[in-house]
Amino acid sequence: MRIRRGQDGAADPVVAVSSLTKRFGELTAVDGLSFALEAGTVTGFLGPNGAGKTTTLRLLLGLAEPTAGEALVFGRRYRELDQPARRVGAVLESNDFHPGRSGRDHLRVLALAAEIPQVRVEEVLELVELERAAGRRVKTYSLGMRQRLGLAAALLGDPELLILDEPANGLDPAGVHWLRTFLRGFAERGGTVLVSSHALAEIAQTVDQVVIIDRGRLVSSAALDELAGRGESLEEAYLELTAGGAG
Amino acid sequence: MMAQLRSELLKQRSSQTNLGLFAGMLGLVLLAVLLHGFGLPAGDLAKRNNQLMVFGRGEFLGALFAALLGAMSFTGEIRHGTIRPTFLVSPWRSRVVAAKVAASTLMGAGFGLVASALAAVVGAGVLGACGVDVQLDGGDYLLLVSGGTAASALWAAIGVGIGATLRDQVPTLIGISAWLLFVEGLFGGDLADVSRFAPGTLGMAISGQEPDTLLAPAVSLLLLALYALAAAAAGWLGTTRRDVA
Repeated sequence: MRIRRGQDGAADPVVAVSSLTKRFGELTAVDGLSFALEAGTVTGFLGPNGAGKTTTLRLLLGLAEPTAGEALVFGRRYRELDQPARRVGAVLESNDFHPGRSGRDHLRVLALAAEIPQVRVEEVLELVELERAAGRRVKTYSLGMRQRLGLAAALLGDPELLILDEPANGLDPAGVHWLRTFLRGFAERGGTVLVSSHALAEIAQTVDQVVIIDRGRLVSSAALDELAGRGESLEEAYLELTAGGAG
Repeated sequence: MMAQLRSELLKQRSSQTNLGLFAGMLGLVLLAVLLHGFGLPAGDLAKRNNQLMVFGRGEFLGALFAALLGAMSFTGEIRHGTIRPTFLVSPWRSRVVAAKVAASTLMGAGFGLVASALAAVVGAGVLGACGVDVQLDGGDYLLLVSGGTAASALWAAIGVGIGATLRDQVPTLIGISAWLLFVEGLFGGDLADVSRFAPGTLGMAISGQEPDTLLAPAVSLLLLALYALAAAAAGWLGTTRRDVA
């Protein structure tokens, strides 16, 4: 992992979301959202169903265009990055695979497009402990194995930023423990993680800070220590801020 | 661009989908040539134009399956969600569409070459079995196979463009199949002249079929290339201007 700095030597915020708005016809999915993430942090991105989390991540990753505002990674729009796979790794869905393709070939396809050496495919397979199943078609994989394959794809370019949407879904307790340890280690080596999840107890053990949104708007951006200082657990703060989590 | 092309070619090779399409195409070419060959009266089969039509089933089915292959290179990514990782590692969508067109054109050419050659070989065998002299010369065979290859390559590009525009796999595949198998066949009467410019008919003309009524092969090749260009441009527009779910 290589942490790059701007010309003045100061690092841009790894993620900078500013007045971000996305409308789908009459529906406003993201409404003037702003937040920023610094390097070396693990941030929980929380909110009820339909709060706009996944839409925000899609905007950040260039899969959708904002109606207004901007979402930048390393100071640029995602598609303006020179080698996006070497700076950002992302998993948005747990099932983004061709069922008839092997796990290894899924990774080889992505590595070829990103001009990443094929030896890295074997490295990430070993990292997520999928090397023995790599030759099997993905349709034979369990949900947990698919999650790990998605993470392997995100790690192909040895990125500085990981963006993960519900990465613990389908993982068994050992897998959840492995993921937590991995993400903490990733941040300790200078990496940055933005992880969306509904599993508050797990998030509370993994992240340094949380960004909570509701109905497309920011309702809180705080360090876990701040919440603890107010005598609130993450779950209590979340339920209070999101009006009981309705939605 | 070469990296993206290599990635697209591996996608095409690394699932069973295209192998299934290829096997289906071979089976249908065999069936079509055998049914036409043994089904037509010997007197009709002895006519040069009818022999071109029977041998031309290779071009027709090669083009159809190449179009399906091209379309599925895009709709398959939408259906299985792989379009997201594809655009995450290659957010430059124009490059992705261009690579899909190039990879599908190459694969489509392969489909057309095999289908046309198979139809010619099996067709000659059927005629021989029926005791009918083959009226075709080396130039005819060359045109059947090279034209079938070119038409299938261009139809694969058309398929990519249609798939990238419609995105939904089932309507796309039904639409392409219905157009080639059914709709163009309805053109008759006052529309007969127009049908010569229809893309499926142009494919037949490229391989030298019905030389008395269809456009010349070179003109047909040019017109079908324009169709392919227009379809690819539509797919490019649809891909670069729309969000990915």
